This record gives sequence, C-alpha cells and structure tokens, in this order.
Amino acid sequence: MTQLVLHNYDLDDACYRVRLVASCCDLPVELRNVDMFPGMEQVSPPYLKLNPLGRLPILETADVTLRHTGAILLYLAGLDPQKRLLPTEASALAQMMDWLFFAEHDLSVSTEARAISIMDLPGDGPQTIAQTRALLRIMEDHMSAQEIKGLSFFAGEEITLADIALFPAFALSRDCNIDHDAFPALRLWARRVRATPGFVVMPGIPDYH
Amino acid sequence: MSETGWVPIALSRFIAPGTSAGTAVHGAEIVVWRDTGGKAHAWEDRCPHRGMKMSFGFVRGDHIACLYHGWEYDETGTCRYIPAHPDLEVPPSICVTRYAVTEAGGMIWTALPLGDMPEVEPNAPEMDGLRSLYIDAPLDAVLAGVKTVASEVSQTGALITATLGETPLTLGLQTVDADHSALHITLPSDTPTATRLSLLDQFATLRRNVESPLKEAAQ
Ligand code: FES
Repeated sequence: MTQLVLHNYDLDDACYRVRLVASCCDLPVELRNVDMFPGMEQVSPPYLKLNPLGRLPILETADVTLRHTGAILLYLAGLDPQKRLLPTEASALAQMMDWLFFAEHDLSVSTEARAISIMDLPGDGPQTIAQTRALLRIMEDHMSAQEIKGLSFFAGEEITLADIALFPAFALSRDCNIDHDAFPALRLWARRVRATPGFVVMPGIPDYH
Repeated sequence: MSETGWVPIALSRFIAPGTSAGTAVHGAEIVVWRDTGGKAHAWEDRCPHRGMKMSFGFVRGDHIACLYHGWEYDETGTCRYIPAHPDLEVPPSICVTRYAVTEAGGMIWTALPLGDMPEVEPNAPEMDGLRSLYIDAPLDAVLAGVKTVASEVSQTGALITATLGETPLTLGLQTVDADHSALHITLPSDTPTATRLSLLDQFATLRRNVESPLKEAAQ
C-alpha cells in the first residue's frame, strides 16, 4: 500500500482526528512531528510550500497532498478495505457528511476556545466558549433524539467518520471550562466512541485503563 | 437554601454502570456514579486528596478513582488505594462525604439538606426517562414555561405531573444554581417513538422560550 505521511502536532485536535481514524481503520501512518507551538513551523517556507494555508494536519502520499481534515479522514476511511467508518447507504452517508461539515466548519470555534484557554492565544475567550457550548448543545439535542430512535451514533446505528470528527470537541471541552454535567446523551455516546476497536487518546483526553 | 427532602439529580438510564457524572444542587457540587454492579452513589464532588472533582475520575468495579493522582475510594467513600504508595495501609479517616441516594420513577435522587438520610423513599410513579433538559434559567422561570404549554400541572416537592398533548408526564425539578435548572422528563413506558420525538421538540422550544427573554435582558 501507498505510504502515508502525516504532518502532525500531538496537541492539535485536528491532527488527533486523523490519528484516530488511521488507528480505527488499522492503517499505518508515518508521523512527522511539526513544532506548531511555540515554533510556528507550519508557516515556515518549506511548510507553506506543502500547505499555503499554513495549517496542520497535512497528509502526504506519493501522489496526493491533502490539507483539510475532512478530506484526509474520507481518504483514510476509503483506504480501509473493510470501510468500517463509511456508511454505504445514501442517507446515512449524507448525514455523516452533514456532521463532518459541522465538525470542520462550525466546531472550529471550539479549537479556538481551547487555544485561548490553555495556550493563552489572543481572542475572545468568553465569546468562543459560549459558542462552543451552544454547539455542544446542538449535538446533545441530536443524540437525545438518536437515543429515542434506538441509534447509537450521529449518523445511525454504526460509528462513522462523523463521530470521530466530533469526539475531540466534547472530550476536550473541560479545557475551556465546559463541564460534561449538562450533556448526558453525549456522555453515553463518548463512551461508545471510546469502546471502538483501535481507539486511542491524545494529551488532554484521559485513558481510563 | 430552604428546599428539603428528595431531589432528582439524573435520569437513571443516563448513568450507565461503570460511569460517573458531575452535577450540582443549589450550587453544591455532587458526583453521581454507578458501580459495575449497578448500584448508584451520590457523593460530594471533591477528592479528599487535593480537592479535585471526583466526577472527572473513573469507575473501577465498586470503586471510583480520582483522575488526578488515582486515589481509589470504595462504596462507603473510604480511600482504599493510593498509587504513589501501593504498599501503604490507607488510614480509614480519608473519606469522601456521602449523601443519601435512591432511585425511583426512572430518576436518581439525593436528599436536602445534603447529608440528611430520609427514612421514607420518594414517591414517584414507575416511568421511563426521556431526557434531562438543562436550562439556563432559574427554576421559577422554567415552571412558568411548563405551565404555558402543559395542562393539569401539579407539584409535590421536586416532582410535577403534567399533561402535554395526550401524554401524562412526570418532571423532576433540579435547581442547579440560582441561574441554572434541570428538568428530568419521564413518561409512561408505552409512549410511542413518534410521540417521544415530538415531546423532545416541544421541550426544546420551551427551553428557547424560557431562555431568550433572559438572554435579551442580559445584553
Ligand atoms: S486530587 Fe484526587 S487523587 Fe489527588
């Protein structure tokens, strides 16, 4: 199989999503660790050549370079011969994509909130935290409805990329002082995500075993 | 606070065996957890070691372990194991404060004032948990909101019965703190899925209607 190189920063939650999908799909990925903080290596000339957007993660193979987390996750899940994180049915696939966009686009504010809280980066802390909380509430409402329908995950009965893309924002929310108290349906869901074969943690997400 | 007697702090089915969660009643932080044997516990959410939240920790069999330095407590709240000193016979005086706990009507309850152990169990009809709805509003505002949408609303202690559409509901009332409340919504177990989903929508609307005037006033 083609060699996969992930330009990675361990504390970045988007890089973590990529590692998590690779691990759950049993795909070997070579990690190139980038000094994102405090070195800002992702905006150094060699890295800007790889990704002019100056961001991580970047996935490189012999023939493609991908620089959006969602695209990287889709690519990895597609490489998995068992396709364990990709629904085949059209509606489930569309729902997965809906939540994948939510994770990448709307929820990016949670990454910002966390960076402001733990790394003291500039920005509007209270505002980004309030937005993050409102988004987690949308997730809680959705999972409350899924529970009633007897569905365990965001896009249906089985775990998909959507769940993995959404997991870090919830699991790391205490870093910006959002407790899990008011999210009972997400607590049960996060426990199911944790029980997925291949699940790994990142710094800030405790390993309970 | 003047509230006394049993108060609901979670829906039973959302505290799975082997899990823990944080909550608060009138601002007092509580960890509610269920051991792997299925028994529920409600304790002060504070580790005797350095005061970190027990609810961040994890359940191991009939013990709960603190996330920070791994001190483990048995079901009586007594510390049994300190990982940094594995051979130490832990002095029995290291204890987490335990509160009354029981399960009735699909909810987990504790009693106020915290530490009080009432002899009579809460009187709640057998029901199914729908969801716990957390609302950024004082309990009075939530109650007023319930009264605008439901009929036959009547309150006994921390429990109200009400009818919404055709469905008879029992709602557990929790004052998290002065500005936050929880409604533990339960209904008869034969309620069809479509009705449950419609109730979920109605309660989300109720939450919005209760919260938005407060948000506007705050701006
Ligand atoms: S604070 Fe709980 S073990 Fe140290």
